[in-house]
Amino acid sequence: MNHLRHVGKSVKRKDGPDKVTGRAMYCQDVKLPGMLTGRILRSPHPHAKIVSIDLGKAKALDGVKGVITVEDTKGIKHGFVETPRYPADQEVLARDRVVHVGEEIAAVAAIDEVTAQAALELIEIEYEILPPVFDPHKAMREGAPEIHPSHPKVAEKESYANIGGKTESGWGDVEQGFADSYYVREDRYESHLRTHGYLEPQVTVAQWESDKLNVWTSSMGAFNKRAKLAKVLDLPYSSVRVHKAYVGGAFGGKVDLYSHEYCAARLSMLTGRPVRFVASREEIFSAYRHGQPLVVEIKTGVKKDGTLVAQELRIINNSGAYRGSGVVVVFLAWGFTMAPYRVPNLKYEGYSVYTNYTVRAPQRGHGCPQVRFAIESQLDTIAEEIGVNPIDIRLRNARVADEELPNKDNTHEAGLQDCIKIAAEKTDLVAKYGRDRKSPPKDSSIRHGIGIGISAYMSGTLIYPNGSGVIIKMNDDGSAVVLTGAIDLGQGAETIITQIVAEELSLEMDDIKIVSSDTDTTPQDIGAWISGLTYVTGNAARQAATNARVKLLGVAAEQMNVTADDLYLDNKEIISQSNPDNRLSYQQVIAASVANHHGDTVIGEGFWRTMRDEPNHPSLATTKGRWTENYAYSAQTAEVEVDLDTGEAKLVKALTVHDCGFPINPGLVKGQIDGQVSMALGHAFMEEILTKDGYTLNTSWLDYRMPTIHNMAESEDADVITEQYEVGQSYRTKEVGEGLVSGILAAIANAIYDATGVRLHSTPFSPEKILKGLRELERQQKAAE
Amino acid sequence: MILYDFEYERPGSLKEATALLNESGDGARLLAGGTDLMPNMRVEVVTPSLLVSLSGIEPAAPEKRADGSIKIDALTKLSDLVDDELIKSELPMLAEAAHTVAGNQVRVMGTLGGNLCQETRCLYYNQKHDYQFVEPCYKRGGDCCFPFPGNDHNTCWSVYMSDIAPVLIALDATLEILGPDGTREIPMADLFTGDGLNPFTLGAAEIVQAVIVPPLPERFGWGYHKTTVRGGLDFGTAIIVIALQLAEDGETCSWAKIIYGAVGQGPLRPTTTEISMKSAVLDPPLIAVAASQEISPLPHHGFNKGYLRENIRVYTERSLVRAIARARDKS
Amino acid sequence: MDQITDRTTVNGKKSRSRVLEMSINGETHEITVKPRVMLLEAIRDKIGLTGTKDGCESGTCGACTVLVDGQPTLSCISLAVENEGKDIRTVEDLADGDNLNFLQEAFLDQGGTQCGFCTPGMLMSATALLEKNPKPTRDDINKALEGNLCRCTGYNSIVDSILQASDQGVKPRLL
Repeated sequence: MNHLRHVGKSVKRKDGPDKVTGRAMYCQDVKLPGMLTGRILRSPHPHAKIVSIDLGKAKALDGVKGVITVEDTKGIKHGFVETPRYPADQEVLARDRVVHVGEEIAAVAAIDEVTAQAALELIEIEYEILPPVFDPHKAMREGAPEIHPSHPKVAEKESYANIGGKTESGWGDVEQGFADSYYVREDRYESHLRTHGYLEPQVTVAQWESDKLNVWTSSMGAFNKRAKLAKVLDLPYSSVRVHKAYVGGAFGGKVDLYSHEYCAARLSMLTGRPVRFVASREEIFSAYRHGQPLVVEIKTGVKKDGTLVAQELRIINNSGAYRGSGVVVVFLAWGFTMAPYRVPNLKYEGYSVYTNYTVRAPQRGHGCPQVRFAIESQLDTIAEEIGVNPIDIRLRNARVADEELPNKDNTHEAGLQDCIKIAAEKTDLVAKYGRDRKSPPKDSSIRHGIGIGISAYMSGTLIYPNGSGVIIKMNDDGSAVVLTGAIDLGQGAETIITQIVAEELSLEMDDIKIVSSDTDTTPQDIGAWISGLTYVTGNAARQAATNARVKLLGVAAEQMNVTADDLYLDNKEIISQSNPDNRLSYQQVIAASVANHHGDTVIGEGFWRTMRDEPNHPSLATTKGRWTENYAYSAQTAEVEVDLDTGEAKLVKALTVHDCGFPINPGLVKGQIDGQVSMALGHAFMEEILTKDGYTLNTSWLDYRMPTIHNMAESEDADVITEQYEVGQSYRTKEVGEGLVSGILAAIANAIYDATGVRLHSTPFSPEKILKGLRELERQQKAAE
Repeated sequence: MILYDFEYERPGSLKEATALLNESGDGARLLAGGTDLMPNMRVEVVTPSLLVSLSGIEPAAPEKRADGSIKIDALTKLSDLVDDELIKSELPMLAEAAHTVAGNQVRVMGTLGGNLCQETRCLYYNQKHDYQFVEPCYKRGGDCCFPFPGNDHNTCWSVYMSDIAPVLIALDATLEILGPDGTREIPMADLFTGDGLNPFTLGAAEIVQAVIVPPLPERFGWGYHKTTVRGGLDFGTAIIVIALQLAEDGETCSWAKIIYGAVGQGPLRPTTTEISMKSAVLDPPLIAVAASQEISPLPHHGFNKGYLRENIRVYTERSLVRAIARARDKS
Repeated sequence: MDQITDRTTVNGKKSRSRVLEMSINGETHEITVKPRVMLLEAIRDKIGLTGTKDGCESGTCGACTVLVDGQPTLSCISLAVENEGKDIRTVEDLADGDNLNFLQEAFLDQGGTQCGFCTPGMLMSATALLEKNPKPTRDDINKALEGNLCRCTGYNSIVDSILQASDQGVKPRLL
């Protein structure tokens, strides 16, 4: 019997008191003596040659301490992906040419903001305008303005222009599959440009101390930042220390290296003074990285009972002016396609296409909402065409436990079937579905609809730095300090790591203090951006605690003259099961260890890596190789209200039924779910980056409309528990922080259809589109009469 | 953070303020709540060299005068319009409209006069221009219009987004304006030029001092709707305001006003439709169609004309139904 | 429009700095500022209280909300000089030493804070609400907090925090 005291409990956040008192230090709160202010000169053109740059006047301005361009760099490139196939492709400042509005050209460090701004205005640049291209389909055409040459491997076979990368995969025979199908249909779904909307603007403070760079920067993982920063600065990792600071939200937008981070570092090295860069909200909206709009063309064939026979997908990613994470999205889109449903014959191709937009970053879900919106929408259409209900068609195709996937991953204890069943039961979906369409309410323009969407998400994969280490230092009073590279950006990493260590070492939460996310004092960590932190770093913490526990037990066994397996831990004491009076406090055991074991102060070490037998991450180009060890599965339902007169729609109630394995902290899981439902409803109804000619039109939160407190929907959730946590055992818990933006988006689309009969093929689901759909239905109805 | 220096004065009276404006010419601006001016100065679409702050002047409380009219100091905070008992009971439409402005902090900071005199808005205009849209548009003194390249130098389609001005027009309010030569009164509607480049008829040294709302007639009814994407915090997609009086029979409309906000360079009015409503028994769906067809909403902030017109039609009908019901309630 | 030719002079002269006195969390501070300095910059940079956050600098997110004479104010678009002689309260004023107040406790009990960046502004807006209206309805809460954006929580837990803090039957969710 498993008696858990900390794990599985909704413990309050460890960083909570700091956050509600204003004590939590974010990067913008870091102030150093003599600190200079940096600002960046950006391209006013989407595509242009830089003919000349004259820094003379700027450098001569009083109060200007440093000005840099690409000439002051080592010319070392970086990229979100750095593999042999996809080598680093971006310089930290533009060289000879700019490829998007807002691209960084020069940077200034000055005594204050006003001087820095004045200096930027004194930099003289001559441009020669080049033709830009913004539509990915136009960019692919032969003869389109070349932003970068197509990837050589693609160019060998295809004449498309501006292809940054391509993912191609498949199995079976789709043509035969379609021929064997009872029903086949083709659809096209488009998603739109959105952004992360982290509340804390990106801030970097860099301080060079003769041979060492200290950096405080808004990040999602200090070790990834260190690696990239050290690389472009051409410094050993030991000369770059990324310090801990709280992070005010990230959602994918703070993973990669940003130019301002390099500029802060370089200008500090050149001026000998600390330098701070703060991205303005306008810069973040118009020059920083956003998510990725995908066009999904999908053809699907099913049997009469709805069993999937064949599926063909072609995905075009408008991936901006450098490779960014564009090639990752077209790989991931394949993964999010194949993980939830069994598709015996699949053909997949995804293109990442350069355009003169800003570079793209991961954004929570990283392709999953876009793909699930397409697949789940089409599946409901198919279900209706062949007369199967939305639950049955999903149950028929949803993966089950212990299935081997085409990439040799295993679904293990997958609870997807249960997720779907529970979602259907809790909402009475089958009974509600179609109600307002069959018998429309007479005296109201309001229609209600319900829809379901499912998704699967990876829980950690292999990408630098691949593994996490954790060190636990026992203090000689029996309390413990945990050193972890994990970063808490709101999800609660520090809290769950503390829970695990408290459980494994039978300590109270308050006995444990965490030192985190500091590249010099904490072990390497995978970071908080590949949905693997609870699994990978959590297991490392568990292992470190086990390591310390074994040491404590060993010493205690000697002291107590029993074998270690007679001993158990309880509240900082080690007790003999056979004789409970025979007991020692941790303090006594640690003193004995120091006395009898050459001063061993009892340090626990742990490390973890997902897919430890896999040498490498899967191929982004071919999808070959294993992707993840744990798939998180979920089914989400949406209940919406639509006003037929105005087209205005809203999410009223969301239900998330998810298989996260085992929730280490159900309260934090709930926080993740609610946040994702909110983000998805922003995606569905409100948020859109509007652009014209490569310029961003809405550069503020007034016009980029993230949900406000008015827009919350009721959000319920239910766990499908498929794992158990046991002290001393590794666990395989699954992610809850990203995938749940996906099924709910699809569910909303399906619910709008259910309410109105309007099938939307693009996000966002604006009143204008819904009205257009309703008018079209009226026309069709009239034509039929 | 504003990145240039300016001077600042805080006079003790409006008279001193107008004198300061008069002396300083074009480079001076009034600062009331600052919720419109500060962001605009930050992105440098306006760059005054002197701010004349009104924060040293205490507004008078709203007052019911002997003739039944209500006088409201222009420096009254929007949140006070929401909470003031006199306004709530006598001019509920004004309180409701004030409650829809922006978010709570803006209502606490912003003043009635500032809300009325807010700058017109456009996605291109209201942002930094240091690397985006560096060529100034007509409204910024330049020679182009980004969103509507067909517009000539006389035409700016920036929209006036006050939630309150349309209500005050519907209530027949008068503005008391203080200038260097004394005060003058104008009907609320006369504040607007209809020109997006220079939206207001105020002289450079003139200050809106007070708003006077005449007593409401018997069997008065009103409807107010602000279409937004998020239900709060937003500027309006469209603002629909209706005021009317029913005749003693409770059926015939004596007169009606329909005012639209956020869809033109100033508030818009379907005057032909309004005339047709006079002495008529109202058919809300028909009127809504006529009114929404009569005006020409400007596309703005990503909303196109066709959608705006449709939204205006629906909410004109709904607001009219409410206005009629309220008028009957009062009879 | 007037192009700015020199950012640090006005009509050829340096702009005049002002010496201001204001009460911040009950302490009287005297600061010298140029007119262009915002209250937010004064609080964070001159006084050194960094709990108040700078999210957008343009009055759109509410992270910078402080109480000025009890009223929730966007300190990023309020000039410091406009606040001369005012009584200003920031997030640092809420706790009594190590003792969190009931509202702060409620945010912890309900999971009302995640990344924490919106939290100081949320707390100040909520404080102003509860001081004016000790038993707010959900609508009251929505109207009071509509100017405070949160990207992490989806707001449900924030509403629950305020309902708990106002003793309206919402029980702590976390241990």
